[in-house]
Amino acid sequence: MAHSLEFKNIGKLYPGVKALDDISFRTEGGKVLALMGENGAGKSTLLKILAGDIKQSEGIYLLDGKEQDFKNPHEAILAGVSVIYQERQMIPALSVAENIYAGFLPKKGGGIDRKTLYANAQKIIDKFGLHMDAHTKVARLSVAYQQMVEIMKAYSRNPTVICFDEPTASLSDAEISALFRIISELKEEGKIILYVSHRMAEIFQVADSIVVLKDGKYVTSMDVADASEEKLIRAMVGRDIGDTYANLKRNDKYGDVVLEVKNLNNAKVHDVSLTIRRGEVVGLAGLVGAGRTELVRAIFAADKVTSGEIILDGQPVHFKSPHDAIKAGIALCPEDRKEQGLVLFRSIRENTTMPVLSELKKGAFLDKKKEKEIAQEAIEKYDIRTDTMEKLTTQLSGGNQQKVILGRWTNSLMKTKLLILDEPTKGIDVGTKAEIYQMVCDIASQGIGVIFISSETPEVIGVADTIYVMHNGRITGQLKREEATEEKILALAMD
Amino acid sequence: MKAKLRRMTNSKLFTLTLLLIVIIVIFEILSKGKLLSFKNIRSILQSVSVVTFLAIGCGMLLMSGNTDLSLGGVGTLGPMVLAFCIAAGLPWYVALIIALISCALCGLGNALMVNYLNFPTFIATIAMASISQGIAYLISGGKNIDMKDPTLNFIGTKRLFDFIPYTFIIAMVALVIYAIILRKTKFGRSILLVGGNAEASRLAGLKPKKISFILFVNASCMACLAGSLMCARVKTATTAGLSGSQFTGITAAILGGISFGGGTGGMMGALVGIFILNVFNNAMQLVGLSSYYQTVMSGVLLLVALIYDKIMENNRMHRAITAK
Ligand SMILES: Nc1ncnc2c1ncn2[C@@H]1O[C@H](COP(=O)(O)OP(=O)(O)OP(=O)(O)O)[C@@H](O)[C@H]1O
Ligand SMILES: [Mg+2]
Repeated sequence: MAHSLEFKNIGKLYPGVKALDDISFRTEGGKVLALMGENGAGKSTLLKILAGDIKQSEGIYLLDGKEQDFKNPHEAILAGVSVIYQERQMIPALSVAENIYAGFLPKKGGGIDRKTLYANAQKIIDKFGLHMDAHTKVARLSVAYQQMVEIMKAYSRNPTVICFDEPTASLSDAEISALFRIISELKEEGKIILYVSHRMAEIFQVADSIVVLKDGKYVTSMDVADASEEKLIRAMVGRDIGDTYANLKRNDKYGDVVLEVKNLNNAKVHDVSLTIRRGEVVGLAGLVGAGRTELVRAIFAADKVTSGEIILDGQPVHFKSPHDAIKAGIALCPEDRKEQGLVLFRSIRENTTMPVLSELKKGAFLDKKKEKEIAQEAIEKYDIRTDTMEKLTTQLSGGNQQKVILGRWTNSLMKTKLLILDEPTKGIDVGTKAEIYQMVCDIASQGIGVIFISSETPEVIGVADTIYVMHNGRITGQLKREEATEEKILALAMD
Repeated sequence: MKAKLRRMTNSKLFTLTLLLIVIIVIFEILSKGKLLSFKNIRSILQSVSVVTFLAIGCGMLLMSGNTDLSLGGVGTLGPMVLAFCIAAGLPWYVALIIALISCALCGLGNALMVNYLNFPTFIATIAMASISQGIAYLISGGKNIDMKDPTLNFIGTKRLFDFIPYTFIIAMVALVIYAIILRKTKFGRSILLVGGNAEASRLAGLKPKKISFILFVNASCMACLAGSLMCARVKTATTAGLSGSQFTGITAAILGGISFGGGTGGMMGALVGIFILNVFNNAMQLVGLSSYYQTVMSGVLLLVALIYDKIMENNRMHRAITAK
């Protein structure tokens, strides 16, 4: 008999929000069910309940017709439920193998059976077709590979139910195709698969059926065969958003050169030169690990520069720290929201005003009223789903956390000349994505230069005026939007 | 309004105040009314002042994600320098400035070791604890130095209306000033942000290293003041000084809801923590337990505080309070 999973009237109450409200649906083994919805719709919350990580306030769930009530993640794993979370949960100091089998290490006598451990781990790695050694410390892996370790960890437990929460957000194409191959194998084996993603194309590629949530409520479900992108967006957002890229109101008036980089070098960046004019949106395309993040970090003085010149508004600059760069008018919205972006246990308000605290001074003190205005502005501009600006950012959904960081770097007190956005749409829902693209164009219209980094090539082509492609820390090509195609960019990115 | 109320009752400060009240009620009964007698309250207030300075110094560091185990030694060195200078005939304020400068140098040393040599904080500050304690021995030749200065002794021993010790008033003024700095100024905000996530703060234009320097120096100066107040009261700088009391400071701060990991907490919480600690110690004496028990209980209290902190941490990790 096929496996089955059923949610019945699931509700989840957080102080101030109903994260889930009366959710019921059912899925079967051998099928991929996609959970879709805007940021904060409750997708991750539902998976966390199933994983025994948090307890539902109402309702029940049944696995193979039997009611389950997991007290903790360990119980859920033993019962065959594995969840790969949106946020990585690795132990960086341990090896790949130890992470894959964390909590379930093979034992021999009193100790750990290291031989079996590494042999088994390597078997899984090979099955995934990755170039990875089971002995490598996870800290030394790229973000994409760390994510793959997370997936292999779930896979290794031979689960009946396997849930993916935005697994591809930090993967590049090679890993994504490995992942999809594994998912289709799991399907063949009759596993139950839940899949959360904001990337439409993916949904049509892997899913069999779709359940749409909105503001914690069940909206509709459909078979992929009956679904279309427009139909899905309407269910999720509640309105049409049309052709995102074609509808953008772009800026076509460029000013002087705002930033010129000449022969920049450091450990990860080699001989990079580029120019950005005021009002221009420059896209950086490339595979994960191509050195785009390292390049912008060097410009922002977050990393050291060994040689080369950075010229801002015609003046050579030598920043000692991000503090200097910000003072000079450069803003960098970082890629890794947990490590480099948010102060998780401080409020939305405190997180949005971090770079402009000096501007908020009234005498010796901070102007609380003005600070609240800045926070409110960010909440409205990006539609951050929260009941109050005093909410700790750790309590926000992944996409809403990303919006807080965007709000921080684009708030109206920043005197930005050059805005650098590193993967700004990571984990952001479709509706908001379109708004972010438009915001990028609006910012450019104000005469600000923008660097836009994204691993989703269509996004770079759609938004940027000029595209630089990087590979191994070098720039391998430069294209105008009109001439750019995914194939050309990919060719340059592989070099 | 309701949300505000809920946030308040969920807060650490609320739990802590409740705990303090419970302790007071229990020991008031056990001591048959002696705990809240006029004389006893006066003596609790007296003992609070020293711990307050330690808790401020240490608490600010903890909030920024650092800690300092040298405060006991530094707090012994400071008053020793003070007494030495006064014995040498310098006016008390010059002597105090010299004492503060010598302690500030210790703090600077800590900051250099932690920020530029990348020593683990524990190791660096433990080293500084021995160094400062050792220098205190050298200055005094291993003996106590009498400190007879009319002004300092007045501050150290007299009370307003024969009830509130001046040292207590000074300590509370200091606490309020630090509370205001923490809540209302850019510097205070930066401390909490850096404590919460130093790298994110650096990328947002804050200066974690600068903050660490200021707070290490500040902690040492606070230890100097704590030691000096005690010395002003007993009219001698002893070689034992404040040795070991860095842990009292940490205990008070953590009991007061300042988390060991940094990024959260406040001065009002610290105040409650200070009172919990002092009322507890005082009450143990009242009910007739020997000072050995007190030492054991201080340790137990620190453990309880740490466990509580850990539980709160886990709760926070587990997406705050699970709804019922
Ligand atoms: N610990 C918490 N305390 C309070 N509210 C919370 C907490 N955790 C989550 N929430 C709220 O629950 C709602 C649902 O969050 P959830 O993470 O499930 O969204 P999501 O659908 O996964 O969104 P995203 O696409 O952005 O990842 C959000 O409004 C969020 O703010
Ligand atoms: Mg989510």
